[in-house]
Amino acid sequence: MRILLLEDDAHLGPWIASGLREEGHVVDHFADGKEALLAAMGQEFDLFILDRMVPGLDGLAVLKSLRASKNTTPALFLTALGEIDARVEGFEAGGDDYLTKPFAFAELSARVAALGRRRSSAPDGGAADTVLRHGDLSLDLLARRCERQGQAIDLMAKEFKLLEYFMRRPGRLVTRTMLLEQVWDMSFDPTTSVVETHISRLRAKIDKPFDSELIRTRRGEGYVFGR
Amino acid sequence: MSLGARLIGRARGLMRSSTLRLTLLLSLVFALGMTAAVWLSLAFGQDALLRRTDATLTGLAQLVEAGEVTEESGQTILRTADRVLALPPPFRRALRDGGGTVDLDDDYRGAETWRARAVPGPDGQPVLIAIPMDDSEDALELLGGILWTTAAAVLAVTLAIGWIAGGLAQRRLTRISATLDQLAAGDLQARTGTVRATDDLDVLAQKLDTTANALERLVTQTRTLSASLAHDLRTPLARLRARLESLPDGPERGAALAEAGHLSDVFDAILRVARIEATQGAAGLEPVDLHALAHELFEIFEPVVDDAGKSLRLKAEAAETVQADRQMVIQAMANLIQNALVHGGPEITIHARGADIGVSDTGPGVDPDHYDDILKPMVRLDPARGSDGTGLGLALVRAVADRHRADLTLSPVSPQGLNVSLRFTDL
Repeated sequence: MRILLLEDDAHLGPWIASGLREEGHVVDHFADGKEALLAAMGQEFDLFILDRMVPGLDGLAVLKSLRASKNTTPALFLTALGEIDARVEGFEAGGDDYLTKPFAFAELSARVAALGRRRSSAPDGGAADTVLRHGDLSLDLLARRCERQGQAIDLMAKEFKLLEYFMRRPGRLVTRTMLLEQVWDMSFDPTTSVVETHISRLRAKIDKPFDSELIRTRRGEGYVFGR
Repeated sequence: MSLGARLIGRARGLMRSSTLRLTLLLSLVFALGMTAAVWLSLAFGQDALLRRTDATLTGLAQLVEAGEVTEESGQTILRTADRVLALPPPFRRALRDGGGTVDLDDDYRGAETWRARAVPGPDGQPVLIAIPMDDSEDALELLGGILWTTAAAVLAVTLAIGWIAGGLAQRRLTRISATLDQLAAGDLQARTGTVRATDDLDVLAQKLDTTANALERLVTQTRTLSASLAHDLRTPLARLRARLESLPDGPERGAALAEAGHLSDVFDAILRVARIEATQGAAGLEPVDLHALAHELFEIFEPVVDDAGKSLRLKAEAAETVQADRQMVIQAMANLIQNALVHGGPEITIHARGADIGVSDTGPGVDPDHYDDILKPMVRLDPARGSDGTGLGLALVRAVADRHRADLTLSPVSPQGLNVSLRFTDL
């Protein structure tokens, strides 16, 4: 992916840029809002990563200008302002995701991958399908039924939602924060092990009784479904 | 609304004005005093008139007895018993009774009221003498009329002044009260806009404006401070995390990352409490069905509690829909469940009923004397109980309660345990 990064911090900017380059992305790094805006207007990018507070023009203003000129490239905001109001402002300005500092690189990487995928194959994982399939596992969204190797599996409502989220993102890293936001609609960390517990329950139902493991843990990073 | 209904509505509003009430009370006292004064002066006037007339009659009677006056003159009546028959009947009764006041139905010799007395004449025969009282009575009636009219006029003017003054005072009080309502609803820019201070109400309004200025400044400062604190601390934390992640893999790196994670968790919790405390008004509130919310909380946390070897129960009865910030309430309940997991017994209950939602446990409970203490930030009653968590759990719950103006109640559970509930009130 070709990524435009706007981050003025002398340490974080290069850290993010080099991390993304290691993953095979092409990164144009700017520390000044106006320069970033000029570059974004003149060239095609697959993703914008914008810090909310930078000198010149801040990330919010940059994206507003870009959206006003019909630029639909996905945008991820980085911010030291964690407040929900600031988050809402970001989405209102046309942002697609929002990441609060400090963050683990794996978190950023997972979100970058999710946004890139959204662009290349929208709708995400085939939103129109009513039955999701992965190997011998099938999830019928209308009948609310789950089967593996022809055996019916009884899922609780949240487990169902969790599995649906995973099945729409096969092979991709999904972090704990992403799950909290998307499956539980929590923009805060409930301190209890909500995510871990539900995943272990889900595993006990769809993985344990069978020979192959579908949900795998990546220590310190998150979870990957399938492949 | 019809004109009549509007007037009644306005009058009802005015009746709440303390100025008008005071005026009405004083007017009532004035009217009672005035009535007593007029009544007393008329009574004394009547009495004096009678005594004067009787004195005249006594003089006349002496002259009649002495035979010096034998003929009627002017309006005076002087009749022997046989000639009384020609007079209207009340005079005959007066002769029989020996005298008294005679009230006639029609004028006799131009007078209706007479004072009469029977005296022995020179020949021993009773003689009726009588003199009219009308002139003096008229004067008294006129006096009474003047007094009553004056009293009524003064009363009317007093009431009018009270009505107008009440209306004016009420208009200013309404503005003060509206400003207070706006401030309470979170509009910190609301002011009464009183420029000149002419009386105590104006001074009050100006003081309110000054207080509102200070409040707005403080809240703005807090918001700016937490925003800049957030930025100034999150950026170095992000750098720290970046540096740690760049280190070669190993147990020390993992431990350092965990410490950094805990640091930013505590920091997030502080900011979150500060942000909730700075939030006011109805913005961000939505209808939240407490019954459904309790079920959802149960669904989210039942597996977590179960994995911890404890059991979570749900007691959701007829619960109401309240105006609330859903995320905040979930956050508060999550903290209560987390608290119960750490400090409570084997059984945790989520309960919802009416406008109440809360969590109870069967743990050792908390001494009611310490209830206030545990709601304070960073207070841990048992210092031996690890340093996990942020120490802000219950402080956040209290901030959420304050933000909703909900009542936060801590109570003991029988036979043992602690119950914490939020009771929502109308905002």
